[in-house]
Amino acid sequence: MLKWYPKNGRIIFHLDMNSFYASVEAAYNPELKGKPLAIAGNPEERRGIIVTSSYEARAKGVRTTMPLWQAKKLCPELIVLPPNFDRYRQASSEIFKIMAEITPIVQPVSIDEGYLDITECYDLGPPWEIAERLQQRIKNELDLPCSIGIAPNKFLAKMASDMKKPMGITILRKRDLPEKLWPLDIEEMYGVGQKTAEKLHKLDVYKIGDLVEADQFQLKRILGVNGERLQQRAKGIDTSPVDPDAIYDFKSIGNSETLREDTTDDTTIAKLLRRLSQKVAIRLARKEVVAETLQIMIRYYNRKTITRSITKDEYLAQEDEIFAVASELFDTNWNGEPIRLLGVTAQNLVEKEQAIEQLNLFNYQEHLQDEAIQNVIDELSTKYGKNPFKKIKDQVNNDTPTTSFQKDFLDDFKQ
Amino acid sequence: MKFTIQKDLLLESIQHVMKAISSRVTIPILTGIKIEATNEGIKLTGSDSDISIESFIPTEENGIIHVENIQPGSIVVQSKYFPDIIRKLPLKTVEINTTDEFKVNIISGGSEFHLNGQDPNEYPQLPTLYTENSFTLTNTVLKELIKQTVYAVSTVETRPILTGVNMTLKEERLNFVATDSHRLASRHLPINLADNQLNFNSVVIPGKSLVELNKIIDENDETTSISVTENQILFQTKNLYFLSRLLDGNYPETSRLIPDQSKTTILTKTKELLNAIDRASLLARENKNNVVKLETKSDNRLEISGHTPEVGQVIEEVNSESVEGEDLKISFSAKYMLDALKIIESDNVKIEFTGAMRPFIIKPENDEDILQLILPVRTF
Repeated sequence: MLKWYPKNGRIIFHLDMNSFYASVEAAYNPELKGKPLAIAGNPEERRGIIVTSSYEARAKGVRTTMPLWQAKKLCPELIVLPPNFDRYRQASSEIFKIMAEITPIVQPVSIDEGYLDITECYDLGPPWEIAERLQQRIKNELDLPCSIGIAPNKFLAKMASDMKKPMGITILRKRDLPEKLWPLDIEEMYGVGQKTAEKLHKLDVYKIGDLVEADQFQLKRILGVNGERLQQRAKGIDTSPVDPDAIYDFKSIGNSETLREDTTDDTTIAKLLRRLSQKVAIRLARKEVVAETLQIMIRYYNRKTITRSITKDEYLAQEDEIFAVASELFDTNWNGEPIRLLGVTAQNLVEKEQAIEQLNLFNYQEHLQDEAIQNVIDELSTKYGKNPFKKIKDQVNNDTPTTSFQKDFLDDFKQ
Repeated sequence: MKFTIQKDLLLESIQHVMKAISSRVTIPILTGIKIEATNEGIKLTGSDSDISIESFIPTEENGIIHVENIQPGSIVVQSKYFPDIIRKLPLKTVEINTTDEFKVNIISGGSEFHLNGQDPNEYPQLPTLYTENSFTLTNTVLKELIKQTVYAVSTVETRPILTGVNMTLKEERLNFVATDSHRLASRHLPINLADNQLNFNSVVIPGKSLVELNKIIDENDETTSISVTENQILFQTKNLYFLSRLLDGNYPETSRLIPDQSKTTILTKTKELLNAIDRASLLARENKNNVVKLETKSDNRLEISGHTPEVGQVIEEVNSESVEGEDLKISFSAKYMLDALKIIESDNVKIEFTGAMRPFIIKPENDEDILQLILPVRTF
């Protein structure tokens, strides 16, 4: 089998689930199969935008981030479902488990895509067979479609997985670049957003192939280091490793939410801050970390956005603590103008195990309640072998619709 | 103004008043040193309006002449240059005189400095304290009181009152208490009030003032007289007048926060424990708060451990004199513990714990006048 594997260099898979949320819904309810289906936030509200849609809906012109009313106009028979994040998380976790059975070198990138480094997997057969088996297993066991890109590095694998959807397997070798990669529009290149594309157009770069030819110094001048990196990638060079721990290098945990309408109403604002604090607290707990710093983001009606943060002597972990600090930050920094969006982010995260808090003479007695409870729990745990209690707060329904992706749950597949 | 003075004495006085001088003052003239010459001697004054220090050099002391050729007068000199000039002069004596335009001439041997001075009349008049509220302590005792408490004052301004030492007088006892809310130091001193008419009961002296005072007064059997008014405190020795503003506000009641019963009591050699914690903290420095863990073991043994994941770990065993009561596992800041143990002069130290989440008390063996308290750290 070794002949299929390079002597130097690597073989990387990029696995991308096809219209993931919609596919999961269809797997749960086969009646939805073959029908135009979209997942969207609450249809009544401003944030009611299309999160994802099935290929049948896409054929009618429905696109991600499109407002619901517009999608309905294009496709009146569109079936709209609210997101059901528990389902997606569960499915995602199963997918990563299957991937982890091939190699431990799996790097989750988001809920529905990840990289595998199969350079050392020659015992399992040629790369495309491994890819086919992986794709079939996910199809058979979970009833979910995916596309896989096979390439010598992450960037090319990512581009490859995009070339054939749904249920595609694409091999992109270096020698294929002039034919398969360079003719593509620069906008289709991974890492090039609208702003970058506009800048590149000024250098007459419209195709990925143009980027290969572009002047290195001019690129660096307008795009900095990123310009260099993009050019390298266009040439098919990407040395970044598949890093299973990349996802754990989180620096912060944050949530934000757009208000239904711009507001200056204290109660609405307090409610939103409370809700965001709760979400952040739940995610901190799930990650088993505590935060030293809290940041809030205020976006005003005119899109002007400010962020302000504060570092506390005591670690923040509980919803109440986070809410108190967030409110304090908000009160000192709000200029009184109508607000469109608020965000709360916990930063400088410390693993609980390493987090220590210096007790304070003037409030240590408040912690003593915890001490008494902890003693009882310890005692009963010793007796029954396992903590017989569950914190009620942990059962809070965290299945509220949100469009921001949270990777915390991906921890599960590793264990 | 004109006089000739022993250089060393002048330099010592300059160093004393410099303790009160700050470059960040709102009244520019306070960056200077005021010099006043009278036939009795030379007086130097420095002030940042929080602390004011006057140091006096008598013309003659025990038959020894310190100052000669005095023509009374006064001047304010710049503190940025004056001390260094005096220190580096070639001879043991220096002549200082002034001109009408506030020029200062400093002459010693072949060296001559001409400095621009300032009008002494523009220097603010220091308040003179008229008070009956005074008592005396020997310098040795006063320095002890300061040393045993001031280390525990808060260095951050989040609760300004905690940056001071609380001095109270109650039932013939003088008490000094300081806390930064993570540890507390207190010292009692029986005091005979029979012939005193003291009527203050609680004042808060800025920690910084006490630190400076401690540097200036020598450890000897001479006495310092302490006078208290509503917002100022004066420490007065033979040749020194040290005036400090008091901190505004109520000092928190701390006595009820100090546990009065213990569940685990340890008696151990002070030096041995101190060295063990010092070593354990070598590998705890990287972690926040420099935390070490103490655990009681059988046969009066204590285990002290420090650990930083990336660096390594250390385990120290200490054979203590006695361990009474419940088993204990507790984590605390090594720095706080070291600060506390350094104050203890007795061979043995007694530590009383009431649980892993409660403050513990450190005392010298057989001495109820010194008490130090440390709050442990909580682990998540």
